[in-house]
Amino acid sequence: MAPLSTSRRDFLRIALAAGAGVGLSACGSSGPESSSGAGGGAGSAKGSASYWYLTGEPGEGIRTNTVDRFNKANPKTQIEATTFQNDAYKTKIKTAIGAGQAPTIIWGWGGGGLKSYVDASQVEDLTDWFAQNSAVKDRLFPSSFGAATIGGKIYAMPAETVQPIVLYYNKTNFEKIGAEPPQSWGDIMDLVPKFNAEGIAPFSLGGQSRWTNMMWLEFLFDRIGGTEVFQAVFDGEKDAWSNPASIQALTEMQKLIEADGFIKGFSSITADSNADQALLFTGKAAMMLHGSWTYGSMATEGGDFVSSGNLGYMNFPPVEGGTGDPSDTVGNPGQYLSISAKASDAEKEIAKKFFAESVLSDAENKEWVGAGAIPIVNGTDSLLTGSKDEDWLKFVYATASGANVFAQSWDQALSPTAAEVLLDNIAKLFQLSISPQQYADNMNEVIGT
Amino acid sequence: MTTTATSVDKPAAVRRPKNSRRQRRRGGPNWLGGLAGWIWLVIVMVPIYWIVITSFKTQANYYAMNPLKPPTSPTIDNYQLVIQSDFAQYFINSVLVTAGAIIPAVLLSFLAAFAIVRGNNWFLTGVNGVFLMGLAIPLQATIIPVYLIIIKLQLYDSLLAIILPSIAFAIPLSVLVLTNFIRDVPKELFESMRVDGASEWATLWNLAFPLTRPALVTVSIYNGLAVWNGFLLPLILTQSPGRRTLPLALWTFQGQYGVNVPAVLASVVLTTLPILILYAAGRRQLLSGLTAGFSK
Amino acid sequence: MTTGAPTTLLTVGHSRAGRTGAVTWMALPALVFFIAFGVIPLLGVLALSFTRWDGIGDIHPAGLDSWRVELNDPGLPHALKVTFEVMILSWVVQTPLSILIGVFLASHERYRAVLAVLYFIPLLLSSAAIAVAYKALLDPNFGLGAGLHIGFLSQDWLGKDKLALGAVVFIVSWQFIPFHSLIYQGAVRQIPRSMYEAAEIDGAGRVRQFWSITLPQLKYTIVASSTLMVVGSLTFFDLIFVLTAGGPGDATRVLALDMYKTGFQANLMGPASVIAVILVLVGLGLALLLRRIGGGGASDSQLEGA
Repeated sequence: MAPLSTSRRDFLRIALAAGAGVGLSACGSSGPESSSGAGGGAGSAKGSASYWYLTGEPGEGIRTNTVDRFNKANPKTQIEATTFQNDAYKTKIKTAIGAGQAPTIIWGWGGGGLKSYVDASQVEDLTDWFAQNSAVKDRLFPSSFGAATIGGKIYAMPAETVQPIVLYYNKTNFEKIGAEPPQSWGDIMDLVPKFNAEGIAPFSLGGQSRWTNMMWLEFLFDRIGGTEVFQAVFDGEKDAWSNPASIQALTEMQKLIEADGFIKGFSSITADSNADQALLFTGKAAMMLHGSWTYGSMATEGGDFVSSGNLGYMNFPPVEGGTGDPSDTVGNPGQYLSISAKASDAEKEIAKKFFAESVLSDAENKEWVGAGAIPIVNGTDSLLTGSKDEDWLKFVYATASGANVFAQSWDQALSPTAAEVLLDNIAKLFQLSISPQQYADNMNEVIGT
Repeated sequence: MTTTATSVDKPAAVRRPKNSRRQRRRGGPNWLGGLAGWIWLVIVMVPIYWIVITSFKTQANYYAMNPLKPPTSPTIDNYQLVIQSDFAQYFINSVLVTAGAIIPAVLLSFLAAFAIVRGNNWFLTGVNGVFLMGLAIPLQATIIPVYLIIIKLQLYDSLLAIILPSIAFAIPLSVLVLTNFIRDVPKELFESMRVDGASEWATLWNLAFPLTRPALVTVSIYNGLAVWNGFLLPLILTQSPGRRTLPLALWTFQGQYGVNVPAVLASVVLTTLPILILYAAGRRQLLSGLTAGFSK
Repeated sequence: MTTGAPTTLLTVGHSRAGRTGAVTWMALPALVFFIAFGVIPLLGVLALSFTRWDGIGDIHPAGLDSWRVELNDPGLPHALKVTFEVMILSWVVQTPLSILIGVFLASHERYRAVLAVLYFIPLLLSSAAIAVAYKALLDPNFGLGAGLHIGFLSQDWLGKDKLALGAVVFIVSWQFIPFHSLIYQGAVRQIPRSMYEAAEIDGAGRVRQFWSITLPQLKYTIVASSTLMVVGSLTFFDLIFVLTAGGPGDATRVLALDMYKTGFQANLMGPASVIAVILVLVGLGLALLLRRIGGGGASDSQLEGA
């Protein structure tokens, strides 16, 4: 029998090749960003915390500046930022948390999503910290703490801006057909055929993102039946979705869709790409219901659309016969920064320092105002006069502070599981593939989950 | 099988059709097949043509002009935008992942295939059966436990997280193709090696390896393509931009620049370019190997 | 060096056992990898289907709860329906075309080389790339159809239920017909000339030859190609995820996508694992079914009658 020496050599050769292949890639993947042992958050080298937030101007730029300012002032303790698009972020943050690789500072919308983190013990209880740092707490809009409080304890720092949902319109398009902005739901339905006749889509909509469709329902529900309708759902009341006001709202919604109220192809347009905004400022659509955060991006990307005063805005009009308060608004009462419970103590300290010093600093507030948004800091109205977007800012401020009720976006208020069913059914409703009654039945099943 | 000898001597596609076949006249040209062929060519090429020419247009031009006309003033701005968005990093990641997965996968599959063909016990038959069943397991179905395993191994958000499952899922098909190929090697060759006193190891490297090379190339290319273009594993198992591979980067880029169609298409072209170059270089082996492996 | 018959016999006997022993371990590394990242996750999916887990917290055993939830969910039969629609439609579109093109490619030597090069390009693109490109191309306001002002082409392809499904089938075919036509081309070229000659002598025309000779000889290839097509279509994820994210509504939500959404978006890992188990079972079932249809034909000679 031949000696085994050849085979051993060959074996080594193979092992080397295979190992080199894997090793090469391991080299490529190790580095300051690879995970360390317990207590290491995502991408944290010594002395730095990590922070994830959304892309999309103007928010992205402002958040980056805030981080840069903090890093400059604290050279020994840095914050590493990573950005994600909205829809991708919502899934990615969950896989990260599930993998124990959550960033130190978790950006979010509070409400049900935050609650799911709390239930899994993944975020820090900040109640005591706020008690000790009352100066930080007292600066902020009191109403913004609602979505940050779960079971009586505060689990997130309210940050950034109030973001009511606004009905935008293209003034030039209205002049083209010689019409006035709608003052009621009836006006909206009247305008639809007029715009369509001119080849202008009445409403732009990024339907593929689904939460964009939801904004419509939020307003219709409120205007027709008041905030109690959704509150019942939120409180877990049985068959809350079968409320007559609810069915009426859903029916009216489908009427608008059937009348070709929305731009052709709306169910494949995503909000992330800002395609829906582009349709408004290029004149292809006449109106758009969207968050106030889009003002900033329309101002930068829409050429002179905003600066020439072509952009009109108003609160969602009332519905004839509805019992809701026309001053109510919906949207995001703030954005919320939580601290990962799995981060190391050093990282948590960096995060808290960040909260106390840099978040919503005066410099940051000025940037928000400059971008056409209202930071949730008391007394910002004094910053508004003299700014180039004064009318807009005063409008947002008035809408947000003057609202009888500022309801949180449904998909953030509900748990992620219920939210997914909600968005799913809303998408089908807008596809006209289910009836209002079917929608109500489907949604009633997940009340309280 | 009498054809075994010829298949050992030449790679399958080089097997020339007999002269009589080339000269035959089939009673008139094949209209239906021809029509289908040419129509399909148009269907294949129009989107590709559109992708390439649009990537050289500016966004404004794109909206203004006929989409099928070539750009009047071509620009490489879109390509610059794509490259500036860290595409070099994503390219490197893709290369590392593909090489890191394919080299071990093919080597290990080759070893296993050799053992299955040459060995003769219940264990090896069982192993073969396991791999055959493995062909029917979709990667998608196992992604949740793979996610868990990767977390437990503390490999989340690393390139290894993509590599290890990729190796595992490349094995069944590779073993199938390679066993078929090795089986075609005439037993007499093995016998003569053994009579010369060679160990199985030496037989593996000195006999089977050179003879199986076409199949090894096929399997490498087929799996390499699958791993290079893989999307689900990077989507779930990585998170940092620094770990992104090209398909994931493409999706992210599209999400961000969706309105800017020319830029998005430039990113499509750039991510495909490396494969196209390799294709141009090694096309014959790819085509011959693929059809040989699958027509068996 | 062994000489003489008896010694050879002994050596043979010894070597076979020794040979088997020597080679057996060669299969181990591949087996280990496959078990670690293939078999164990498969079992893991089954195990997870009996738990309740939201992906971020702890995993809780939950007996048959997740099964009950998922099997009662109307989304599941819908996802199955969509998956089978995509599977059957894409088979119906791809197979005849691939056979025709394969036959065409097999006979036209001159063009074959050039065409084969071009035909193969769609396969080189990643599914993500194809989806991204087609998303732009099919846009009703900014895509190819709109730019050419062809009404028919500028429909809301990705926004209407039936159209989106059709678009998915078309794009899948666009991507994979090249592959299957190459398989058929290789197979057609292996059909012995003598069979056609015999048929011509008997006066059979081209069409008759196609149906009576070409197709039956391709039987095994059809089974192989169809198996790849069918089992492959079960796993469509990348393309549909990027193209429509399962939409509009849930018109293109195939099983794999349903699993992803249930697990990673709705935080229901238990039910998502149930879907995964179903996916595996359907895949196995189909593979076995096709094997049965293909018959023991793998070992029968297809050259009978040559």
